[in-house]
Amino acid sequence: MNYFQLFGLANQFDIDLANLSTIYQTLQKQAHPDRFAHASSQEQLIAVQKSTEINDAYQTLKSPLLRAQYMLTLRGVDMPSEQASFGDVSFLMRQMELRELLAEIKFANDTDAAIFEASVVFETEFEQLFNQLQVQLTDNTTESNAQACDNVRKLKFYQKLQVELDKLEDALLDD
Amino acid sequence: MAYSEKVIDHYENPRNVGSLDKNDPQVATGMVGAPACGDVMKLQLKISDDGIIEDAKFKTYGCGSAIASSSLVTEWVKGKSIDEAAEIKNTAIAEELALPPVKIHCSILAEDAIKAAIEDYRTKNND
Repeated sequence: MNYFQLFGLANQFDIDLANLSTIYQTLQKQAHPDRFAHASSQEQLIAVQKSTEINDAYQTLKSPLLRAQYMLTLRGVDMPSEQASFGDVSFLMRQMELRELLAEIKFANDTDAAIFEASVVFETEFEQLFNQLQVQLTDNTTESNAQACDNVRKLKFYQKLQVELDKLEDALLDD
Repeated sequence: MAYSEKVIDHYENPRNVGSLDKNDPQVATGMVGAPACGDVMKLQLKISDDGIIEDAKFKTYGCGSAIASSSLVTEWVKGKSIDEAAEIKNTAIAEELALPPVKIHCSILAEDAIKAAIEDYRTKNND
């Protein structure tokens, strides 16, 4: 049973997160190990395993990038290892520029404005890739799945940029 | 997580940070990134007509281990032929810097940066 089946959802990228959360709570209640306190140790073990599986499924389906990656795995797409380097030169050049933009923020006269500007740039570019990813996953052809795979990897760089921006914002607040 | 002394040394005093003129036909550029941690690494080599690496510069946005790996690599490749540089293995980098297993990918990134730069040089010079 895959995660979508476990949650009784259609195997598609668009998910209603509120609905997902409701199903999660219902499933977790049913499988809660406390309910099996008086059951045999084997039944208790099964309940714990079920509970873990529901939790893993929820974490995966909740995050759009993990969900996309999971869908690609279900489709038998060979995702490059997490450790494998990424070599799209023009994309990486852009990443360098964005990292430089980030590094310049603390020298800006108005750091709040600079942080806001950077976040707009990051979000705009993230959205663009994310919208492409949605289309690619819906198309579900060999070619579109390979492109989706590439886009998931690209989006991870934008996630990192956002993390760095949040860190910077916290650090500047502390000063 | 504790960094080794060598990592800290390279992190605090990185060697050969900067850029070379990318329009110089003798300059090759290798760009690589690691999606898992969002690190981006640029390695540039200035290569003489007889294939010897005369200069190397890097710019890396990433963790201490990624910066140390690229800094170390710029030291190692200088004076080597491109064939010798292509032989540098990530395991040697990881060993020299005493990288823990979770940081091995930083040394892989540095090895891939050398390979990407050499590839760029060969493309540029393979009329």
